[in-house]
Amino acid sequence: MNTDEPQEPGGYDHDEPRSGKAGVCPFCYGNESQTPPEIIAIRDTHTAPNTPGWQVRVVPNKFPALQIEGNLDRRGLGLYDMSNGVGAHEVIIETPYHDKDLCDLLTEEVSAILQIYCQRTLDLEKDKRFKYIMIFKNYGAAAGASLEHPHTQIIALPMVPKNVKEEIMGAHNYFEYRERCVFCDMIRQELEDKERIILENKNFFAFCPFVSRFPFEIWIMPKKHTAFFFETPLEIMPDLANILRGVVAKVKKVFGDTSYNFMIHTSPVNSDGYSFDNYHWHLEFMPKLTRVAGFEWGTGFYLVPTPPELAAKFLREAKVD
Amino acid sequence: MPELRKDPIIGRWVIVATERARRPDQFANLAQPVVPEKNCPFCEGKESETPPEIYAVRPKNAPKNTPGWELRVVPSLTPFLRIEGDLERKGKGLYDLMNGVGAHEIVIETNKHIANIADLSEEQITKVLTCYIDRIVDLEKDQRFKYLLAFKNYGWTAGGGRVKHSRSQLIATPVNPKRVKEELVGARHYYEYHERCIFCDLIKQEMQTNERVILDIDGFIAIVPFASRFPFEIWILPKKHSCDFVSLAENERKDLAKILKQVLLKLKVGLNDPPYNYIIHTAPFRREKLGYWKTIADDYHWHIEITPRLTRVAGFEWGTGFYICPVTPEAAAKFLKEVNTG
Repeated sequence: MNTDEPQEPGGYDHDEPRSGKAGVCPFCYGNESQTPPEIIAIRDTHTAPNTPGWQVRVVPNKFPALQIEGNLDRRGLGLYDMSNGVGAHEVIIETPYHDKDLCDLLTEEVSAILQIYCQRTLDLEKDKRFKYIMIFKNYGAAAGASLEHPHTQIIALPMVPKNVKEEIMGAHNYFEYRERCVFCDMIRQELEDKERIILENKNFFAFCPFVSRFPFEIWIMPKKHTAFFFETPLEIMPDLANILRGVVAKVKKVFGDTSYNFMIHTSPVNSDGYSFDNYHWHLEFMPKLTRVAGFEWGTGFYLVPTPPELAAKFLREAKVD
Repeated sequence: MPELRKDPIIGRWVIVATERARRPDQFANLAQPVVPEKNCPFCEGKESETPPEIYAVRPKNAPKNTPGWELRVVPSLTPFLRIEGDLERKGKGLYDLMNGVGAHEIVIETNKHIANIADLSEEQITKVLTCYIDRIVDLEKDQRFKYLLAFKNYGWTAGGGRVKHSRSQLIATPVNPKRVKEELVGARHYYEYHERCIFCDLIKQEMQTNERVILDIDGFIAIVPFASRFPFEIWILPKKHSCDFVSLAENERKDLAKILKQVLLKLKVGLNDPPYNYIIHTAPFRREKLGYWKTIADDYHWHIEITPRLTRVAGFEWGTGFYICPVTPEAAAKFLKEVNTG
């Protein structure tokens, strides 16, 4: 981390998230026939599926990374291991409006999207082949989004991915040693230090983590220890929506329209009785301000030109409604 | 049906997306404004615009930091890590901290304003490789350093700058990076079980199946790895077992320069001059003291990993460590093999 000459927000040379190129958007209102048939939607009563009248739509990904059919079949090939690509890949179209992002929606609307995340997770979890359900968003070309219309993706995987496993193992080892949740300890320390906090309400808070990998990286955490995202009670969802919306608004206030990724880190599902009591779900949010280069790829070390304390200060002080 | 493949060394899974397979011409290449040649601080005659040189290939007794050189190494103007001070670890509540001691050097690979190392002569590339080795040997003497990473960022999306003058970077780190450790641990586990080097086995299998080999020249092969993370990813491996890049003999450096140039030219010609990174994966500094990794000479095998930056790494990859590769390694190898570099 660069503490000697910390980089201020104006020093970042990031790519524009939207190209502004015209073209027919399959996620826009009225173009419902251009996506695969919807799985669920929040829509006005008396409107038929795959027609206008919706607020949020969930559709299968037209170009899925994984496919729903078949059984998991692992095999070897000489030295190598492989498996067929069983899984599910869905897209949540967050709003009928092409140009709106989460910060332009009302808290209730964001809350409804978050509830859809939970609903889809609970449904996909019923499929015993799936071991991990990953919810993430790519906004802007630099963050890997191929379509501009705001959307979130859900991928159900047949195995627990390496990064998730490492994080769970880390939390588990900490618990074994101290009999406390590492995330709960982190929350306690952050709320006490206050210097990395950006936003806080009764049930959630957002902060720049002490060990940020990216400049202006933000984590949103439930204050109460909860292993699974989908366990979030309905009545506190507006609190989460409020913080998420606020985070997007603040990042855009500081940097203008910026590409970003976020993902929900939650416990694996269908784990054959293994308990994840030591894990604490959270959301990791990363504005795409720098480009990952050879050093990061080669070492797994990350360079953060703005210390998290300073990043938090900028974000905290950014006034949004 | 997409396919999941596991990297045999570090256990990382990759999704080979056969359904959304893309052709090479379907990758966009973003153009970015560049610094004009007249403002390039790396060209001959601009020596005063860089920090004083650490190393240079120039006629004997010629004064430092003046024209007449073929290659120069200078400290980075914007170092990630700083050379001064002792390594100091401390705790802060729950968190661990360390000061950023290290070295960060820039290898200016040519005195001419040429962007891509692929366009340098084999002799010049050999000088670059020799320079890496000389600098690694020198930095190893500093007991604070544990690892040296030699790498290149070419082009904007690969993290390269706006100055289009061919150069690479050397970074000495005070700890062994996680990514390096994972590879070493993976290789050691395989060795413990099979009593063979996993990379040697991999080379044997690749040469036998011949589906993913791009080039096989003298003592080196270039392959598209079975579990590629990125489309058109390429590894160059020495056929002879060696854990340490530094141990390359003079004639082997010439052979490596030859295959490296050809591989990079194939990328340039075949994929429309894409941004790329290459990273030399080599053993950490081996010192005769506590914690010295005794088996490393047997179980590890140095190599170069080249990754064109044709796609953006997105939320899914960051979150899971799972990569989605839109081109099958076999198709990528076939394509690159057939690219004619003239």
